[in-house]
Amino acid sequence: MKRPDPRAWLWMALVLLGTFGGAWALLANLPAETVRDRFIVVPNGWAYVFGAFFLAIAGIAVSAYFYGRATRPGKAGAYALTAGTHLFIWGVIVATFYPVVYLLSVSFNRNDTLAGALPREGDLFVRAGVFPNPADVSTIQYQKVLEQTNILGYQWGLVAVLLVAMVAIVAVRGVARWWHVPAHRVDAWTRTLGWAIFLSAAILVVSITPEQFYGVNAAGERTPASSEKAIVLYIRNTLLVSGTTGLFAVLIATTAGYAFARMKFEGRYGTLLSFVFVQMFPGFMALVAIYWLMVQLDLLNTFTGLILAYSGGAIAFSAWIFKGYLESVSPALEESAMVDGATRWGAFYRIILPVSIPMLLFIFLLQFIGTYSEFILANTLLQGQENWTVGMGLRNFTTGRFDTQWGALAASAVLGSIPILLIFYSFQDALTSQTTAGGVKG
Amino acid sequence: MPWYYVLPAIVFLLTFTFFPVGLTIYLAFTDYAGIRNGQLNVSTTTDVVAVDGTRVTIADAANLNCADLRNGCTDVRAEVYSFELLLVDALAYEDGVLTLAAPLPRGREARETELFLPDLGFAFSTEIAEIDGERVVLTRAPPFPPQLEGVAFQMADGVARTIVRDDGAVLELNEPLPEGFEATAIARYNDYGFIGWRNFRTILVAAERSLVPVFVWNITFAVATILINTVAGVFLAVLLNNPDLKFRNLYRTLLIIPWALPNIITIQVWRGFLNENFGAINRVLMLFDVTPEPINWLGTVGAAKAAILIVNLWLGLPFMMTAVLGALSAIPRELYEAAKIDGATPLQSFWGVTAPLLRTAMIPITLTGFAFNFNNFNLIFLLTDGGPPIAGGTATARGTDILISWAYNEAFRSQGGFAYGLGSAISILIFVITVAVSLVNFRVTGALKEVRNT
Repeated sequence: MKRPDPRAWLWMALVLLGTFGGAWALLANLPAETVRDRFIVVPNGWAYVFGAFFLAIAGIAVSAYFYGRATRPGKAGAYALTAGTHLFIWGVIVATFYPVVYLLSVSFNRNDTLAGALPREGDLFVRAGVFPNPADVSTIQYQKVLEQTNILGYQWGLVAVLLVAMVAIVAVRGVARWWHVPAHRVDAWTRTLGWAIFLSAAILVVSITPEQFYGVNAAGERTPASSEKAIVLYIRNTLLVSGTTGLFAVLIATTAGYAFARMKFEGRYGTLLSFVFVQMFPGFMALVAIYWLMVQLDLLNTFTGLILAYSGGAIAFSAWIFKGYLESVSPALEESAMVDGATRWGAFYRIILPVSIPMLLFIFLLQFIGTYSEFILANTLLQGQENWTVGMGLRNFTTGRFDTQWGALAASAVLGSIPILLIFYSFQDALTSQTTAGGVKG
Repeated sequence: MPWYYVLPAIVFLLTFTFFPVGLTIYLAFTDYAGIRNGQLNVSTTTDVVAVDGTRVTIADAANLNCADLRNGCTDVRAEVYSFELLLVDALAYEDGVLTLAAPLPRGREARETELFLPDLGFAFSTEIAEIDGERVVLTRAPPFPPQLEGVAFQMADGVARTIVRDDGAVLELNEPLPEGFEATAIARYNDYGFIGWRNFRTILVAAERSLVPVFVWNITFAVATILINTVAGVFLAVLLNNPDLKFRNLYRTLLIIPWALPNIITIQVWRGFLNENFGAINRVLMLFDVTPEPINWLGTVGAAKAAILIVNLWLGLPFMMTAVLGALSAIPRELYEAAKIDGATPLQSFWGVTAPLLRTAMIPITLTGFAFNFNNFNLIFLLTDGGPPIAGGTATARGTDILISWAYNEAFRSQGGFAYGLGSAISILIFVITVAVSLVNFRVTGALKEVRNT
């Protein structure tokens, strides 16, 4: 073991001073900006920025090395590596978040157009249009996309319940962490509040109707909502379709998954094989045929038709996942119940279903998130504007003259992302770990 | 019998998955299309004035063919492709020659035209043989509604008759109408039928301009995007797998954000970021002087392809990172400790310990990713919409179209003339490829063995 070297402190200070001084000098001596093709350009700016970034990485890594020499000499190399890693990851985080932050700030900006003149005031990034001008912060885009949405009194009540329950869940879990509340009580609270969220959201989604989306003209008459101002309706439609598809798939697939996991029967292998194949194929490959089928069934432009079109793949996928889950559950419980006189169905209903609820919730969520982002079938089968999904509503912005509606698009995009964002981060561990496992296992 | 446990699932699977698959195979051998959709063409309805034996006199003979579209065969809108899309009004079409309202701009090398017939709601693409000022000579005539000779039709009671002679206002039938049947009106029925291998032949004949480039790009895209995402994902995951790294869970949570946002939204937002003149990406690149001039991301083929790969890296990195982290967590820490004791550098321990153990876990992940991206319709359709068109290509198979978006264009867009049959034929090609990839995947992951054993 090497001994700590006090002189390393000095070296560390010197290196830090040198690199940060150097990086600062680089950035402070940026060439003056010029205008080229209506863009603000800092000549060779990339060299300065990369130079400063790598100087910072190197500087921090080297000073971490000396820090290690000064404290725990054996670890000096590891310190240097760790410090460099942190900085690099922060670089990746900035790149990942730039579009997200930019989108958010556009949605909270007064300017609705991409094409407007660049501001002359503000710092370099604002003048270059790399970030929207903070001086123009406003909620006007949200007001605009929501102005023709008319929420009824009791629906506001449901919204209030939804928001209070969400805050309460965060509060309960936060408090529990500080005050050492027993886990089972936290779980009980979370479950109650989760049900409150689910039920109020479900009632809200079902109760909102296309008739609630209208404007009022100068003569006081109601006019149909314009297509870019009905994002709430599109979100409602998407939630309705995704939710129903998820529930439907879970409902139908549960018994099938159970039979595959626990029973031996004629044709089991063939059926299971076909399930595996079906859930590997995107349903839209038979797009033309599904379209034909829906024309014949007179289900074109209905949610029922779309949900049925999703059902095949959704059911196969859910049954396959549920079968995999049940195989990890010991059959001893059911067997003892059946010895005690329960029927097969009784054992399934009373023993298996209750213990599977978290898994069924997980399958529902996977299906829900997947369906939310489906575009091609929805775009083919749904035609009327009152039936559009979020994706179709946004596409309405991008296929027209795009730059005229940029702010409203951003606000709609943010609103449309919120449901999935909340669900994803609420169930992050389950969704990420199980998705990968599911993907690998098929 | 446990069948009733499985029955509901099987019923839905049969109806909404297997039946459509079978139907797709059938439709691939038909000429089912927008103008041959098995429906009555209401706009061609004309009154029957008199019936005399086999002779049916109709009020408006012209109503059933080209000469009496709302504005005759004039007023056809034509889209002329060269390197970019131009919209040109065409005044008239006669005998293979399209007369444009104005000559094409100088220097435009038009390769293809598309006639759009507003009254029939269908479009038709053909090659341009020659351009001479306003006169555009087409290589084949557009399928205007045919003369009625030899056309079979069906009456309300299901009795079929054939028109043996079309004499303007008088149609001669093969047999008289049934007794007591009072004909009041006649309309064209857009029938479709079995055409054998013709759809596949159509694909093969134009393969050089559509199938081959689309297929090559489809494979290139799927392989390249998986390669890029895997390399980036492994790199990031190896960094984050370091147990001594503080905040690693925070970093993971932050980096996962593109996965947590619905891609149907983020892809469309990226379209705005990539706008040539006002998009954030070009503003950043220009600000730091990375490119001498703004990149036309969505308007040039090379840049559009790059944009697709970049956006898919942003979208797919969180999944890849998480998947690799999952695989890495299965590698015992002792192996790294042992490597360290033996004096291995971090790089050596990566190539000596991590890489070999990771390889088996990565194969199914990359294969699943390949199968997913091979049919990544959302990304292509919502980001570049298959565009931009390329010189010498077709209106439905453009610069960044993949097989599935090409099939969609043929079947559901005016450029393709709503050729459902042709779209189904392309779908079958995709089926075959996807089955092949999946079979490989099954072999590797042993999913089939799992089915058989349990």
